[in-house]
Amino acid sequence: MNIAVVDSGLRELSYAEAIREAMDIALATDPRVVLMGEDIGVYGGAFQVTGDLIDKYGPDRVMDTPISELGGAGVAVGAALTGLRPIFEFQFSDFATLAMEQIVNQAAKLRYMLGGAVSVPLVMRFPAGSGTGAAAQHSQSLEAWFGHVPGLKVVQPSTPQDAKGLLLAALDDPDPVMIFEHKLLYKMRGPVPEGAYWVPLDKAEVRRTGTDVTVVATGIMVHKALEAAEVLAGEGIAAEVIDLRSIRPLDRDTVLASVRKTGRLTCVYEAVKTLGIGAEVSAMVAESDAFDYLDAPIVRLGGADSPIPYNPDLERAVVPQVPDIIAAVRDQARGAL
Amino acid sequence: MPTEVILPKVDMDMTSGRIVTWHVAEGAVVSQGAPLFDIETDKAAMEVESPASGRVHHQAALGIEVAIGTVVAWIYAEGEAVGPPPEHVTEKPVPRTSTADAPRQIAVPHTDLQKPRATPAARKAARDLGLDLATVSGTGPRGRVMRGDVGPISGLNAESGTLAVIRDGGTRGVPLVLLHGLAGDRYGWEPLMAELPSSQPVIRVELPNHGTSARMRADGFSDVLRQLRNTFDTLDCGPVHLVGHSLGGALALGLSDTRPRQVARLTLLAPSGLGPEVNGPALDGLIGATRAESLGPWLKALVADPDLMTPSFVEAAMRLRQDASLRAAQAQMAAVLFPDGTQAMDLTSALDRLEMPTRIIWGRRDRIVPWKHALRAPGRVSLNLFDNVGHLPHIEAAAAVARFLMPADQEVLSGD
Amino acid sequence: MPDSNPENLPFAIRHYSPDQLRGALRKMILIRKFEEGAEDSYTRGLIHGTMHLSIGQEACAVGACMALSDDDKITSTHRGHGHCIAKGADVARMFAEFFGKETGYCKGRGGSMHIADVAKGNLGANGIVGGGLPIAVGAALSAKRLGTGAVTACFFGDGANNEGAFHEALNMASIWALPVVFVCENNKYGMSMSTERSTAVAAIADRAAAYAMPGVSVDGNDFSAVAETVEGAVARARAGAGPSLIEAVTYRWRGHSKSDRNRYRTKDEIAGWMAQDPVPRMAAMLRAHGVLEDEGLAALEAEVADEIAAAIQFAKDSPAPRVDHATRDVLTPSAA
Repeated sequence: MNIAVVDSGLRELSYAEAIREAMDIALATDPRVVLMGEDIGVYGGAFQVTGDLIDKYGPDRVMDTPISELGGAGVAVGAALTGLRPIFEFQFSDFATLAMEQIVNQAAKLRYMLGGAVSVPLVMRFPAGSGTGAAAQHSQSLEAWFGHVPGLKVVQPSTPQDAKGLLLAALDDPDPVMIFEHKLLYKMRGPVPEGAYWVPLDKAEVRRTGTDVTVVATGIMVHKALEAAEVLAGEGIAAEVIDLRSIRPLDRDTVLASVRKTGRLTCVYEAVKTLGIGAEVSAMVAESDAFDYLDAPIVRLGGADSPIPYNPDLERAVVPQVPDIIAAVRDQARGAL
Repeated sequence: MPTEVILPKVDMDMTSGRIVTWHVAEGAVVSQGAPLFDIETDKAAMEVESPASGRVHHQAALGIEVAIGTVVAWIYAEGEAVGPPPEHVTEKPVPRTSTADAPRQIAVPHTDLQKPRATPAARKAARDLGLDLATVSGTGPRGRVMRGDVGPISGLNAESGTLAVIRDGGTRGVPLVLLHGLAGDRYGWEPLMAELPSSQPVIRVELPNHGTSARMRADGFSDVLRQLRNTFDTLDCGPVHLVGHSLGGALALGLSDTRPRQVARLTLLAPSGLGPEVNGPALDGLIGATRAESLGPWLKALVADPDLMTPSFVEAAMRLRQDASLRAAQAQMAAVLFPDGTQAMDLTSALDRLEMPTRIIWGRRDRIVPWKHALRAPGRVSLNLFDNVGHLPHIEAAAAVARFLMPADQEVLSGD
Repeated sequence: MPDSNPENLPFAIRHYSPDQLRGALRKMILIRKFEEGAEDSYTRGLIHGTMHLSIGQEACAVGACMALSDDDKITSTHRGHGHCIAKGADVARMFAEFFGKETGYCKGRGGSMHIADVAKGNLGANGIVGGGLPIAVGAALSAKRLGTGAVTACFFGDGANNEGAFHEALNMASIWALPVVFVCENNKYGMSMSTERSTAVAAIADRAAAYAMPGVSVDGNDFSAVAETVEGAVARARAGAGPSLIEAVTYRWRGHSKSDRNRYRTKDEIAGWMAQDPVPRMAAMLRAHGVLEDEGLAALEAEVADEIAAAIQFAKDSPAPRVDHATRDVLTPSAA
């Protein structure tokens, strides 16, 4: 799959608008596409991502489901198995815990269990992450859970351009793709090409080049890492920031090439640090030839071993923030670890 | 009775430490409160002040693991007879390791492994070079051998080794590494070097686009710093006393921040990087001048006493700047580092973090970078302001600056 | 003599041709012999893992599938061998799957619990109780949106009727009026727990009322009764009138799985149900209405026995999957 060469112009959309535009294109160009989810119809979605698509495509294509996460997800699985291309929105990623059976036991495994006789071209969208004061059951980052399941693809767009391109690529993919969207990014604006284009589901993106430390970040942490890199540059530390974009599969080549260059690796992700994405990326490096280039211990910055608290100061404290990244990368670059 | 100097406990769970630097030579005079030695534990490095005034004798050896409370020196009053070291009762045995035959660089406080601590990159480099890691001195935390300790980095970064390095003096003692400022070069250090003992090892490094160093496009301060660091990593000379002037000062700060264990001491001469203001027209004039007549006035702006800039000096300076490509490269660099007469780099937080002995020297009549930027430094940093000196203290007050660079003479000057 | 008044004939006799009826009986016998052959192979150590046998439930599977064409879909359960055969699968490939062979329906990756035959509309057995219910609703949604006219029959057991997925699926099928028929094979026990102990309502069909759909309870060992009820529900679904819930009351003769020690029911109870064996009942009905003679039945049985023996031999002779292909088919190969 190639990234289409399009004239991007300078048009800017919000992340939510970019996702909506991708869904609009999909609905307009593929009659098999249906949107499913709670309150995505006239309400427009809890985060106004589907918006007014129901006016254009009607309730048969933009389907409100009852508050039945397990059943709804299963209906989407069955529909994908039999000819439709559903895009299923969880109102909050946390609610996917109710639907794990259908996602993990069915969507991910049907193709394999049936010896390759079927595919499940299903797209699921998960508004995720903390920072909204919604506390422990509405703020989780569960992407690593899904990344642990063979048969799923898991992506985390960090920009409006990627949000649109990854969704269109997910729709083009024959297998179930889980898209983790950070709720705080929905209003972020950025350039978004017109028309259809596809961002590969398996490629990380180097957002800033540098030679001293490789910072592998996911989702909203990409922006925090870039902010930190800017400050560090003023101190003479050149951090290379990689937007991982895909949790499963991991873009091994991009990460390893960078670590071979810098000799230092810091992973930054909002999901719980323990047994998480950073562990996987670190292990991938440690198991590879890039190990020989490491000149400092690897650093992981991830969410605390805690549910997300309600109090805003506490909420900020349990996920990595810009000063945490600056301090960690600086220590690493200075050889202080 | 002489005063005993012990290895103090300075950290909650510290049980031992190593002396990595004596700031005062054996037999030299020290004042109470002046830095006496630096210790390093597995967690930290810090400076210890002298508990008394007098002459220091019976200094403990460097790099050996010593239990807290152990006497590491004695301070004798003037005229007091110096005999064998007095008996003392405070010594405690170091658990597990004997102070006499502990390996010098390898401190392994939490393990009995005799395997050197080293990064994967250092191990690979040692394998490739056929080196025994145990023979390599590690400059990383807990004595960890880092890639740069094993030997010059080649192949890793094609840009290394492109800066001119000029070595002078002997091979014993902590070398001075001198970094000149924008539009400077190796020759600017000669008045200072004339004031140093000829045995003092001195390493001059010319910045990118200066002197005989390579011309390269710099997109920012970190680019220049990286070039410098690549060269610094190949010097292979152990911890140094780093001296930077002006832009070289900012680079010295950045270098110390990223290589803190390879910089034993830092001296900054009228450094940039501590505030936004800089004399933009003077920089442009210095860099852009194509003949002695236009260079002269700007050179005079660098110093407090314009008579220092004799016609022959100006002619000589211009001869070193004949190469148009050098001037263009420096102009590009200046535009990036000092855009619109502003210092684009900010090393104040780096300065806050530094733990090695650091001194700032500045002329009160500096018309290029305001000396008041020095007030941004934390109280830990020594500051010496010279009254009738401009932007070039190492030229205008070469002898005084040279004395600051010789640690054993430090206490003499502190009384000025 | 059989009653010659068409009004008094069983539904099956009225509705299906003699060939269809003989074919249905043949399938029921095939299921029985298949399960016995699978059990025998398991006992001989040719099949590993576990399996859930549907002996005693043959009328449900075959009766329910009478109304379905190859374009119609079914979702099945962990006790799904009968559904697979009823929907038209080749028993040789089924045995091959149980033997873990590359020639099996799932190329040896699924085994008994995931047996499927997508070409014949069987979307697969399911190892998760209730797992197939929402999937069946999704298949029905596809049929409705794509206008294929297909109906999905969703097989599930009495145990699944207490899963949340059952309730969510029935509710959604009803609000969207989807062409799906929920066929509950109530064999009285979810592993060891009887429906009397596990389920608040007397008949699982009663739960249809909660989702505003027809709910009918039938004798699941009576081929004609099952076929008649499902035919009606399929016709209703095809006409766009929405889903139905059918409870076919039956009994599994064997234990829940191969590890069952049968401590929760009595020998008398089992014997009582075995006396209502659906296969002889079907044969008797065909004999009574002149569809089949004794010689015909014996010929059918011999034919099926040969087919089973050949199928087992095919499975034994088939190649095993390559170990280095263990992770093939996790993802769909990219078009490039």
